[in-house]
Amino acid sequence: MMNTPQQVKNPSSSLKSRFITRFLGALTKITAEDPISSSSPTRIFQRYRRIKVASNKSMAYSVRSRRIWSRAMLSRFRSRRSAFSGRRSSVKTTNCTTSPPPALIKVTINEKKTAKGGLDMQTDELRELVPGGEAMDVCNLLDETAHYIKCLTTQVQVMRKIVDFYHLSK
Amino acid sequence: MDVTLLDRQQATYPLELCASSVPLFQSYLGSGPIVELKRPEAYLSGDGFHEFVYFPVGGGPEFGDSEKLNLVPPDAAPGYCISRTSSCQMTAFHAAAMKEEREDMILEKMESTPGSGSRESFTKRKAEVVADRKSKDKRIKGELEGESEVKTKCSTQVSRNSSKENSKACEVRKPDYIHVRARRGQATDSHSLAERARREKISKKMKCLQDLVPGCNTITGKAGMLDEIINYVQSLQRQVEFLSMKIAALNSSAEFNVENLPIKELPSYVANFPAAAKLPAMPNLTCFQLNSMQKEAVNCMLNETMHPPLTATEGIASASVSIPEQALSSSTITLQPFSTWNMDPQGLYNLYNMGFH
Repeated sequence: MMNTPQQVKNPSSSLKSRFITRFLGALTKITAEDPISSSSPTRIFQRYRRIKVASNKSMAYSVRSRRIWSRAMLSRFRSRRSAFSGRRSSVKTTNCTTSPPPALIKVTINEKKTAKGGLDMQTDELRELVPGGEAMDVCNLLDETAHYIKCLTTQVQVMRKIVDFYHLSK
Repeated sequence: MDVTLLDRQQATYPLELCASSVPLFQSYLGSGPIVELKRPEAYLSGDGFHEFVYFPVGGGPEFGDSEKLNLVPPDAAPGYCISRTSSCQMTAFHAAAMKEEREDMILEKMESTPGSGSRESFTKRKAEVVADRKSKDKRIKGELEGESEVKTKCSTQVSRNSSKENSKACEVRKPDYIHVRARRGQATDSHSLAERARREKISKKMKCLQDLVPGCNTITGKAGMLDEIINYVQSLQRQVEFLSMKIAALNSSAEFNVENLPIKELPSYVANFPAAAKLPAMPNLTCFQLNSMQKEAVNCMLNETMHPPLTATEGIASASVSIPEQALSSSTITLQPFSTWNMDPQGLYNLYNMGFH
């Protein structure tokens, strides 16, 4: 088991428990809206998409605005939602926290070039993986990556437990 | 006696040093003659690793000099240490680290308070940091006490840029000179100091990531580590997709009553479930009617089983190695209907084995 001391210490309000509560709530909603009896492939695929989004969203909401990556993810969801709603003609722009002024982006790009010549490609790849990574300098990127990895492993653990629980109870 | 001499000097001459420019420093202190170090013994702490950096105020040309400038006072005692001139006064002042780990501490403390721009608050913090250090090393206590007073008067800007240097600030008779220790064989100008600080910060964070990502203890390069991290993040994201597909699939085959799910008991399930519990999920795929969209969905899922995570996220570390083999063997059964796939199970199996070695 991944060693996450802060989650073990305070189970009532730990990241894991917050995520579990939110995710299960979302799952009930999804299964309520979707008729369970239908097993058509398209439905399954749509449901899979919704569950995936719910999982990521639950995790992002559990982390709130404490992290750059969670803020980026949440603003992405919000802009997507407003785009789908159709009421607004243009997609809502992202928060100022996630879209830094162009000067800052230039700074990070220059920093990349001068500092780590050989590792630019990999840091770019990492930026693509971590939400909101484009605007971070390398230091912040590594911090955010560490936290993101922790949260992803929590997500995976919880989802595995859910799957196993229902498989065994069948 | 050396200590008291230093203390007296420092007490009487409050020093405020600005990192940005030499002229500023000169204007504050006035151009004085180069003062030699009369009592070298005070600085020879027995740590021959360090070298002193001389910081002369008097002349402009000195600043641009290379580091190897020997200034030997006329009445130098035998065994007097070699002094080096530094082209940057920044090296003089901060975090008086005698040793590297103390500098790490100071660096972290300084960086943990990024917002403060005022000198006063910074000097207070510096005093605290220095106080911490003093309590930790009694050996060089005398010198530390001498340094701390200088440090408390140093400016924030200086520290920001070059806090990582393994340097120490001492005052001599006249406050015109700041004696700094630089690490052996390393440049002491501001840019390289800042660069070094940055690099060490980054390597520290890489070490933390190394603990998080399993299986990368053997990898020692930044590039290799970054590759591992990228692979791990990708595999985790794919796992999330896979598991959400599983949940979606299991919704259709079982009554998904979420209220029955005991949240508190979830952690115990992890310990109880054997690795084989995952296998029943595989044959379920055969019950699905395949159309192009679901093939795509299941394709995605089976990609996950072909490349199962290399990490033991549920704590069943040993089992995680055996799982893929079993999953692959059971999935070969399900693969037969999928004739259009260009996945080669044997090839993927070899690929997977390679990933474990």
